[in-house]
Amino acid sequence: MFDIDYTFHWITVWNVFPEMLSAALVTLEVAITSMIVGLIIAIFLALGKDSKNELFRTPAVVWIEIARNTPALFQIYMAYFGLGAFGIHLSPYIAVLAALIFNNAGYLAETLRGGFAAIPRTQMSASRSLGMTVFQTYRHIILPQVLRIVYHPMTNQMIWSILMTSLGTLVGMLELTGKTDQLQSLSFRTFEFYMVAAMMYFVIAKLVLLGSKLLSRRLFRGDA
Amino acid sequence: MKLMKKLAFMAVAILALGTSASGDKLDKIISKGKIRCGVVLDFPPMGYRDAKNKPAGFDVEYCKDLSKALGVELELKSMSFAQRLPALNAGKVDVVIGSTSDTLARAKSAGFSIPYFVFKLQVMVKKDAGINSFADLKGKKVTAALSTTPETEFLKNAKDMGWDSSNYFSSKSESDTHLALLQGKADAIITTDTTIVELLKSDKYKDYVAGPFVPNYDDFVSIIVKRTEYGMINYMNLFIHQQVRTGRYEELNKMFYGNSPVRKLTVDGIYY
Repeated sequence: MFDIDYTFHWITVWNVFPEMLSAALVTLEVAITSMIVGLIIAIFLALGKDSKNELFRTPAVVWIEIARNTPALFQIYMAYFGLGAFGIHLSPYIAVLAALIFNNAGYLAETLRGGFAAIPRTQMSASRSLGMTVFQTYRHIILPQVLRIVYHPMTNQMIWSILMTSLGTLVGMLELTGKTDQLQSLSFRTFEFYMVAAMMYFVIAKLVLLGSKLLSRRLFRGDA
Repeated sequence: MKLMKKLAFMAVAILALGTSASGDKLDKIISKGKIRCGVVLDFPPMGYRDAKNKPAGFDVEYCKDLSKALGVELELKSMSFAQRLPALNAGKVDVVIGSTSDTLARAKSAGFSIPYFVFKLQVMVKKDAGINSFADLKGKKVTAALSTTPETEFLKNAKDMGWDSSNYFSSKSESDTHLALLQGKADAIITTDTTIVELLKSDKYKDYVAGPFVPNYDDFVSIIVKRTEYGMINYMNLFIHQQVRTGRYEELNKMFYGNSPVRKLTVDGIYY
């Protein structure tokens, strides 16, 4: 009935497990960096898109639209092979990082816009009338509220980021999927290696979720 | 009436046994009337797409010959080098005729026939890159297709010579190596001498030449089937032997390799 006459050799995976762990660290590194940098850029993109000044609005709109409406794989390919055609050679790591920052910034900008929309405009007028600059208002009053509102959608984006790093394998980056591919190509135990990698992604995602819950308790102490 | 029912029941049971899943893979292929043959189509002239985008090549011809010998319909499945063994073990194809080198590491996970072709591993570089011997590759950016013998042999030689392997990167497929070389992401690619000759015929590669050989290595390639399918392995061995005996091997050699000498598929001093 089932054509399965395959015997699993788990020991082959166990022997190289430390290499997979260090690759998982690379995955986390890229995901976290792209989230943080992406978030910072996203703040500017969100404000830019709502701005009345076309000089800020157009680049913001273009960035967000391309980031959200094209596949992440396409963005990674563009960063690695696309720029390569123009002679700009980014290493796989940098190309994937750049593409994911681009992608994250676009998605987070939309999430943040929702957050900004929830803050009444009167808060800005009130703080300006108290003598605070625009920058100070954003820094101390508006952004903390916005971050509180968008925190949970952001953890979704964080997990998405972690899983999207797996596309890096297609441009030769040695994050978890890339390393798994390389290791399974030496021993040809494809099933064993990919099953273990899938479980590792699951565990990483759950750990990040746990970490973000603990972090939110610290950051938003005193909230309901 | 009861006797008729009994006879009918027995007839159905015997027929069901005849078409049950108890035969081996060879039986299943013959009774299904179709063989799924995996080929690699970015590796000319063993496998490539012709001007009409149809699969063509030495390996593709062998697939056609095999299906003709078995008297079944052929279904070709295109895959990259790295996908050959996974596709076989997952049951996506019945056999792979994709220039699979017969390494001992692979033989742990797939069943290998006797060799049906042999290559020399060679480097392809830009004309003025100054890479004239294998040792000149030190420190240069090198790539080869993931999981292939060009990759493993290069890394083995690099390790023996004490180079660090940080200048080497794997490409996901053979066509990715071509792209890497053309874009300058790699200074040199490791592949087979036969495919380099074929690639250099096109205008895209007019600034490139065949470089040094990878030393001391004859790349024998086999047909692969699932490791436990002994019936298939025996059939493939006979098939390959017959291809040579009947002159078909020489005929295909002429078709795809012109006047280059027919390659010897045996090693002296030992059975095949």
